[in-house]
Amino acid sequence: MINIEQLNFIRKTVTKYLMEDYLPFPVNKETCYEWANGLNIKKGGSTILYTGCSYQLAELGKKFDEILPLLPKFKSIEKFSPLAKIFLKPKNERVNKILRNVASILRKAEVDFGYLYEEEPYSGTILLELGMLDEFREYAKKLVNFFNSHEVKKIITVDPHTHYTLFRIKEMLDWNVDIVNYFQLLKNVKIKGEGTYVFHDSCLYSRFLGMRDLIREVIVSSGIILKENELVTGKETSMCCGSPLAPINKEISEKIAKTRAEALKSVSSKVLLACPFCYANLSPYVESYDFAEVVKVE
Amino acid sequence: MSDWDIAIKRGVEHNVPRVFNVLREHPYLEELARKVREGKLEVLSNLDYYIEMTMKSVEKIGGKAYFAENSQQAREIVGKIVGTGKRVVLGKSMVAYETGIRKYLQSLGNEVWETDLGELLIQLADEPPSHIIAPAVHMTRERIRELIKEKLGVDPGDKHEDIVKVAREFLRQKFLTADIGITGANAVAADSGSIVLVENEGNIRMSSVVPPVHISITGVEKILPNLEYALYEALVQAAYAGLYPPTYINVTSGPSSTGDVEQKRVSPAHGPKEFHLILVDNGRRKANEDSILREALLCIRCGRCHFHCPVYRALDGKWGDPPYSGPMGAMWSAIVYNDYKPALLCSHAGNCREVCPMKINIPKVLEYLKWKYFNGR
Repeated sequence: MINIEQLNFIRKTVTKYLMEDYLPFPVNKETCYEWANGLNIKKGGSTILYTGCSYQLAELGKKFDEILPLLPKFKSIEKFSPLAKIFLKPKNERVNKILRNVASILRKAEVDFGYLYEEEPYSGTILLELGMLDEFREYAKKLVNFFNSHEVKKIITVDPHTHYTLFRIKEMLDWNVDIVNYFQLLKNVKIKGEGTYVFHDSCLYSRFLGMRDLIREVIVSSGIILKENELVTGKETSMCCGSPLAPINKEISEKIAKTRAEALKSVSSKVLLACPFCYANLSPYVESYDFAEVVKVE
Repeated sequence: MSDWDIAIKRGVEHNVPRVFNVLREHPYLEELARKVREGKLEVLSNLDYYIEMTMKSVEKIGGKAYFAENSQQAREIVGKIVGTGKRVVLGKSMVAYETGIRKYLQSLGNEVWETDLGELLIQLADEPPSHIIAPAVHMTRERIRELIKEKLGVDPGDKHEDIVKVAREFLRQKFLTADIGITGANAVAADSGSIVLVENEGNIRMSSVVPPVHISITGVEKILPNLEYALYEALVQAAYAGLYPPTYINVTSGPSSTGDVEQKRVSPAHGPKEFHLILVDNGRRKANEDSILREALLCIRCGRCHFHCPVYRALDGKWGDPPYSGPMGAMWSAIVYNDYKPALLCSHAGNCREVCPMKINIPKVLEYLKWKYFNGR
């Protein structure tokens, strides 16, 4: 059920790549920042929009989970990483659209923010979520130093895993920074959406970060109709998409996703969500949309 | 869908809305749950003192109290009391399972019967339990029918009621002829030495009252400061398990007694002439010294976290080391078996924390256990 060799491989290699390159696996960095090309977002600044490369790497991460059981068997796998850093650049227009839309919404809300482009680091969430806490803490120190050296005082996150991870870093280390999620900045901006959906809550937003009601308010005020069912979308009953288990056991992860998708479909055929990992895990089984891809600023 | 998927879907659909309804209809239960947590924390903050107080209280009311450091000691104590060639009826006890009491007594030449219906099915199938209070939740009624037909030689038919009837008829004769009754304890009152047991079937009453000897075996974390808190625990456990009001709450304070002849309290009367309480440590005191793992000792075994956990529902009831399954089982596997591996399967969905009556931050404990696993602690 649990492949320890696989977990040890993640522990060793992900930590190595993070410490060397601020990304969990070798990939062309343009993958992470190409969404911002042409938007004229200033580089850096005391307030930054921070994607943590989560949306950009979620689909690639899913592919990584698929080949993960094989990777520890290739002893010389690391030799390929310089090539991967140049050539591994998955096309992801959907993700680029989502992130561009988030930036547009924030601009409409008159939020002044910059972006770190090719320097933007990954948050370290995989180490935290797998319980590799010593390695996570080591990377977190590096991350805090990085943000401090860039004089970052406020970070705007766009996904629940990055948001939660930064909170945990603040909890562990002495870090004077303000962390805010983009949903929390949408009070003064009119967003337009339409259609009827069932909302699949991110576990972290809903149960760990206290944003369940806020997100629903933002969605409903856009004009989107949400269908609810106490046994499917309640705070205590809405289930995980299974994604956090994928690096440990892909079969269990997929079974959870299928079961969750079936439950959601019993409420509405179209699912709305706000997490790239939920999307990656659920979209093969149910018609799924990210909030930021179905709304427009007026 | 597999048998497990069918069975767990039916189990969840019956249990989850029922617990919500119970809590809506009886809002005082949340306050009682808060008090139970408070009482348990009080005991855990001075555990050795309360263990000693409990043992003294049991002796004071005419019972015998024992402390078992580990499973082997627990088995030896029970074995000495029971002896050989006896008929033993067991009320469902996680600690009896944890310490291997049934199989040990059988190895001594005793006839031993589980009397909780779910546990009897587990015994007949010779399988580990899949849920802390619904041990046979993985079996569909179709499978149960076949099992009873094969093991007891009676076809009960397909209806839930008829299956229960066959088990009732089979077990009644065992209750009435048993030499020893063994139960667990939902709570133990330190001030009075009483044990409190909550149940619905009536098998615990029969096991604890009909045979001439009653043995209760339980973990030290079940101690509460006094009988008031112990009774609250029974109410809370029943409510969050989804069967409220419980059909029966049993309080046992020593062997049976009467005061009807000139108001002098004498023992025995109609019930057992002996009462034995075995308090088991088996890793609990060590866990209590760890500020994070201590939280797990607050668990009252309602099993609610199981039904809200996506991982437990996706697996086939085999998450954790039996009898400890599901989110609570991933914590308890570490406490009593030093097994940190089950914690690795937690997906930190957080539902368990939301529904836990003791407000145990289960994801936090499991994250800590993952860390311990990777660090070989």
